[in-house]
Amino acid sequence: MSSNQNHTASEEAPKRHKVEGPQKHIVGFVMSLALTIIAFAAVSAGEINATFTYIILVSMAVIQVIIQMAFWMHMKDRGHLFPIVGIFAGVFVVITMVVMALYWVWW
Amino acid sequence: MSAHDHVEGQLPHEPEKATLEARNKILGFWLFLGAETVLFGTLFSAFLALRHNIGDGPSANELFQLPLVFAATMILLTSSLTSVFAVQALHNHNKKSMLGWLIVTIVLGLAFIGLEIYEFLHYIHEGHKFTTSAFSSSFYTLVGFHGAHVAFGIVWIALVIGQVLKKGLTVVTAPKVYISAIYWHFIDVVWVFIFTVVYLMGKVAG
Amino acid sequence: MASHAHGHKVKRYSGLMDWLTTVDHKKIGILYLMAGGFFFLVGGLEAVLIRIQLMYPDSNIVNGQTFNELITMHGTTMIFLAAMPMLFALMNAIIPLQIGARDVAFPFLNSLGFWTFFFGGVLLNLSWFAGAVPDAGWTSYVPLAGPDFSTGKGVDYYVIGLQIAGIGTLLGGINFMATIINMRAPGLTFMRLPMFTWAIFITSAMIVFAFPALTVGLVALMFDRLFFANFFDVANGGNGVLWEHIFWVFGHPEVYILILPAFGIISEIVSTFSRKRLFGYSSMVFATVLIAFLGFMVWAHHMFTTGLGPVANGLFSIATMLIAVPTGIKIFNWLFTLWGGSIRFTTASMFAIGFIPTFVMGGVTGVMLASAPADYQYHDTYFVVAHFHYVIVGGLIFGIFAGLHYWWPKMFGRLLNETLGKITFWTFFIGFHMTFLVQHFLGLLGMPRRVYTYLGGQGYDDMNFISTIGAFLMGIGTIAFVINVFVTWAKPRNASNDPWEDGRSLEWTISSPAPEYNFQQTPLVRGYDAWWKEKMEGKKAMTPAEPIGSIHMPSPSILPLFMSIGLFVAGFGFMYDHLIIAVGGLVITLGCMVIRSLFDDHGFHIEPEDQEKGVQA
Repeated sequence: MSSNQNHTASEEAPKRHKVEGPQKHIVGFVMSLALTIIAFAAVSAGEINATFTYIILVSMAVIQVIIQMAFWMHMKDRGHLFPIVGIFAGVFVVITMVVMALYWVWW
Repeated sequence: MSAHDHVEGQLPHEPEKATLEARNKILGFWLFLGAETVLFGTLFSAFLALRHNIGDGPSANELFQLPLVFAATMILLTSSLTSVFAVQALHNHNKKSMLGWLIVTIVLGLAFIGLEIYEFLHYIHEGHKFTTSAFSSSFYTLVGFHGAHVAFGIVWIALVIGQVLKKGLTVVTAPKVYISAIYWHFIDVVWVFIFTVVYLMGKVAG
Repeated sequence: MASHAHGHKVKRYSGLMDWLTTVDHKKIGILYLMAGGFFFLVGGLEAVLIRIQLMYPDSNIVNGQTFNELITMHGTTMIFLAAMPMLFALMNAIIPLQIGARDVAFPFLNSLGFWTFFFGGVLLNLSWFAGAVPDAGWTSYVPLAGPDFSTGKGVDYYVIGLQIAGIGTLLGGINFMATIINMRAPGLTFMRLPMFTWAIFITSAMIVFAFPALTVGLVALMFDRLFFANFFDVANGGNGVLWEHIFWVFGHPEVYILILPAFGIISEIVSTFSRKRLFGYSSMVFATVLIAFLGFMVWAHHMFTTGLGPVANGLFSIATMLIAVPTGIKIFNWLFTLWGGSIRFTTASMFAIGFIPTFVMGGVTGVMLASAPADYQYHDTYFVVAHFHYVIVGGLIFGIFAGLHYWWPKMFGRLLNETLGKITFWTFFIGFHMTFLVQHFLGLLGMPRRVYTYLGGQGYDDMNFISTIGAFLMGIGTIAFVINVFVTWAKPRNASNDPWEDGRSLEWTISSPAPEYNFQQTPLVRGYDAWWKEKMEGKKAMTPAEPIGSIHMPSPSILPLFMSIGLFVAGFGFMYDHLIIAVGGLVITLGCMVIRSLFDDHGFHIEPEDQEKGVQA
């Protein structure tokens, strides 16, 4: 025993060592790029009504964040249950606060 | 695997998760990011609550210039890609390529900070000071907190590069690379909401 | 002390240096207990002064300004510097033992968490000597706490002290979540965790998601006060209600952060001393999670009278009342655990049993307050004061006393004296109800909170007098406990592994106090109430999950202390506008972080032959 820690649910099953390719990261990048450009274009165009623009902007942001978290922050990989729970618990608290800030108090 | 001559001994495929200590660190860091989510969320709530109260200062629409923001966004987005390339090189045990991508990430981070400083100086010149109005205070606090995170990330990644150069790619240094990359992505994710909520929505609302 | 290391020699300290550099969760637990206990006495002294001032109408023992300072510091000290640290003391001392781990996930951060809390608390209390004491209430509402109405340095001490202390709390939360997720012994699945561990797991999660909101609020207030920002300055577009929202987004989860660990302690003790399995274990877990979830959605019930409108008030009112459901589940589970058990009345179990009706009373007034229309009547009266003291003192402090009596042998190797313990219980219990029961009626009669005196002949006089006598009794109870600690200290260390003989979880399988490495061999857990299960099958020890071998330990470090001192110095620098000092302090802290990152901690090993000698914490 060379470690002072206890191994729960050992997950070190031997894995085949294969070289990771850049393709999926580039796919993530291109998607993020496209979403960013749509968002900026929607604002620059300036002829759509404000509420609709807000909806576009927020959806683009949310989709982009989900893509980045899945592709780049490895959240879609195995063993990420607690990171996902952690981030989404934080997001839940934030959403309650933002809804409160926007709707009930200052709208 | 040609990359193996760069490392001492055999590293597992994901060297950042080889020890329990490292897995603890990664999990703990994710929980910290959960806390950071609430931190930025609270700053966003404050900004959203106060954004229309511009006092005597310029409004968001008058102030913000989309080309500048777009450039900053592109820089940070690209730096996120380069840092994920660094992690990929780490998984392939290619130390040289990993260090290269980390350095590119730092350079892009510095460019982002440079743009932000230029932007803030420009705003101050336009009469949008920290003390001008509730809008300006909450704007500088939110965007400044993000900028401080970027600056901290630059110093951190630089330290990690130094350690990898000195100690090589080991099960001790690998999680440091991995965690700093996760942090860097998180900064980019926060920026997605900043450019959306602060800049683009500010432009729409006028 | 053994220190054979494979290749890496590690300096081991003794005496004071040992305590300053320790990363051992058991010693950090004791440090938390000493510091938290000290602040508890300070806060208690402030409480007694408050009660002395209110003993008679029109008295002038302290003036209005001092009274404001006393109530502010009493609330702030008790919540942040006494209650939370004493919970952290029990968490540190017990959680790794309950899950069969050799330490927490991040021993270094654990030490850092303690020292930042400690220096934050010291900074806050130095305000008494600086002659500028926070006086805007523990909630520090703006505009009163803003730069226009609190011109002195008082509120700066509050803002900066709590920021520093808050770092420590956040680190603790992250640490214990990671510990409980990653460090459990083989076989100890989530649904076999002892109830105290579950409670701490959920509490830690709440800390992680609630404290950042407080940090932002404090930073915003600090920017307003020190750098002329306009977050809360209405004249420049700021919003005072924003502070209330941010504060209570943190503040309401905070009260559940305080009470959930007490629920966990009570569950353990009730089960142990009834000699029965905890009734409805899975519903207890479910109720704990549900309370935490709802706890984040009810903050505006502190703000019913702010004028949020009927929709907001209605929703928050309903959400608040919903919390009574999981809490009720818990109460009934404790009662059913007691029902038919062969109950032993030790001091610990008396505090636990006294907790149940007391907390029910606090819960019932909570539901009364949750009714928004009625709250317009109760708001800012002594009714509110009575309510939150019933849940915090009658809930949390009873829980802490119960836990301390229960786990004292595991922390120190000596059983507390039962006679003195029972004196503590009866004086504290009776004193508590005397102090706070009458305050409900004072509130209903209309006595506002936070007033430094009152006119005679309004029907307040007798009840205030009774309340003050009750406070004295609580003081006597506390003194009896302190005497008990010193009396016990002088006794030999002779507690057995399982001194209550009915211990159910893993901490009772190892010596009291636990050796430095906790478990010589990691135990194999075969069910809920792991130790009880083995005992019922006639076993004398847990089945080990690994052979005896060399045990790796983390090295002690002085860096956490210096990092916290750096923040402490920086705090003073910012407060008194000496930017050089502020930057100097931050450089110390960041420099220590860099050192920690650059130099790897290889730790050291304790070899099997040294383990036999019983290396003791």
